[in-house]
Amino acid sequence: MAEKMIVILQYVAVVYPQDPVLRIGSTLTASCWVHPDLGVHASSLFWTLNGQQLPSSLYRVLSPTNLSVTLAGLNASRQTSGDNLVCHNHKGHILAGSCLYVGMPPEKPVNLTCWSRNTKDLTCSWSPGGKGETNISTQYMLKYKLRWYGKEKECEDYTHTQPYSCSITRDLHLFTPYEIWVEASNQLGRATSDVITLDILDVVTTDPPSGVTVSRVGQLEDQLSVRWEAPPALKDFLFQAKYQIRYRLEDSQDWKVMDDVGNQTSCRLAGLRPGTVYFVQVRCNPVGIYGSRKAGIWSEWSHPTAASTPHSERLMSGSCDSKSSGDSNSTLRRELKQFFGWVRKHAYGCSSMSMKLYDQWRVLMQKSHKTRNQVGSPRG
Amino acid sequence: KNTVFYQLFIPHCSIHLSLYFLFTNDAEGRLHQSQVAVFLLTYLGPPFNEKDFSPPRPNSTALSLPSAATRLELWHGLENQARLAQNQKAYSVLLAAVRELARSTLCPALKTSLLHFCTGLDGLLGSISALMTTLGYALPPPSANMEMRPTMNDFAKKVEGFWILRELQSWLWRSAKDFNRLKKRLRG
Repeated sequence: MAEKMIVILQYVAVVYPQDPVLRIGSTLTASCWVHPDLGVHASSLFWTLNGQQLPSSLYRVLSPTNLSVTLAGLNASRQTSGDNLVCHNHKGHILAGSCLYVGMPPEKPVNLTCWSRNTKDLTCSWSPGGKGETNISTQYMLKYKLRWYGKEKECEDYTHTQPYSCSITRDLHLFTPYEIWVEASNQLGRATSDVITLDILDVVTTDPPSGVTVSRVGQLEDQLSVRWEAPPALKDFLFQAKYQIRYRLEDSQDWKVMDDVGNQTSCRLAGLRPGTVYFVQVRCNPVGIYGSRKAGIWSEWSHPTAASTPHSERLMSGSCDSKSSGDSNSTLRRELKQFFGWVRKHAYGCSSMSMKLYDQWRVLMQKSHKTRNQVGSPRG
Repeated sequence: KNTVFYQLFIPHCSIHLSLYFLFTNDAEGRLHQSQVAVFLLTYLGPPFNEKDFSPPRPNSTALSLPSAATRLELWHGLENQARLAQNQKAYSVLLAAVRELARSTLCPALKTSLLHFCTGLDGLLGSISALMTTLGYALPPPSANMEMRPTMNDFAKKVEGFWILRELQSWLWRSAKDFNRLKKRLRG
């Protein structure tokens, strides 16, 4: 009580309680005490919460220098710096204030997953267990220890890029399981996640393959050849890697996945559409590292590489190039050739029948077709 | 979006002073609070980020700096040493205040933003001190440790933070004119 008296003497007005931490849905009665020398009566004061005036029906004059307000069913804090509950004089000037922190005690953190990048580190991520804990300041601590011996340790490297994750980068032991859990705490309570047990070698991932190139296979219009290099970090390990390829059309979101790529560093995609752009990605899984019997964790996909299949020859039939349209009638020409050969043999007086004559006839037909279509021209 | 930089180059000493205004001009030349200012005021929450909000100025050590506002004839007649000394004292106090603001911030992104801003202020303070030394002016002794801070509740700390931002804005605006004046006086 003595402390409270000292505080009051220093200030013109005080809001009590100062900076309380409260559960969502609870009720708070706050009071604004004004120094008697101010010459202000409590009934002339008013309250605001986050800039909004509170209705006077919630007020009670406790004494000439003390006005209270009762807030029932508190909502979660609007900002983590606290809700601003302020006591004003009749002119609206601020006399004093208090920050309200309204949230919930934490619930068990969930979805705790860990992975190791090339056995060099162990990164874990989790999610808050409840909703209300994020409205007030809640601390999360990742803890770990070696299963059968070893002291409890705390993870220190909390990455700010990804909330709710932490990396252990020193003194990592292989061949012994770790026990890992997350402790959450705030001013309303604490909670601990379930403990997960893992062996670092069972949760290894690696970098995506490098040097991914996609190229055509000669003139084959429905195939592309994909080549890549094993991630350099894998050289340290004596194990087999598995790869997966996925590809899609340029303007589509549907990926086709090639699963059984095995330990090769090249693969051929077939059954593709000619004259089309494809985006291709490759990823890697370090399988069975140091005798681990679990499947490893797939790396991120490599950056998309684009390539296009050659245009199909048949597709040229619709073009306006007269030379090419001649080529597309190769069956007709073959048959004509045979016919002229037969005519020369069996039809007397048609010895000059030839392909050359046929082509000249075609040119003649094209020219006369043009004049026929001109207005007023007589039929040739 | 233009951030306005003011640069002063004193020919007698190759010290480069740059100032980061806490205001920016938009395409139509209207003045807006810069990102850091908006970030901080949003973090404090309403009514701090409302237009024309003005709480009473606290009387704390964090705000024991010379006032940027001064009568025109007084400001005009300031000797170079006094002018620089006022700037030096102001930014010493402001740097410590913004550092403390960053330390007590619960939002990690805002904390990073404020600390980044502090490195700019630190650079500015260093340049002012170096300029004073080169011109032969004695630097004031570092102010006494601010350990005896009265305990303020969180709302009072928010009001103090609001005023630190306001003083910062006033001083950056004033310093631009101070350095312009210094440039003229040192040349002539």
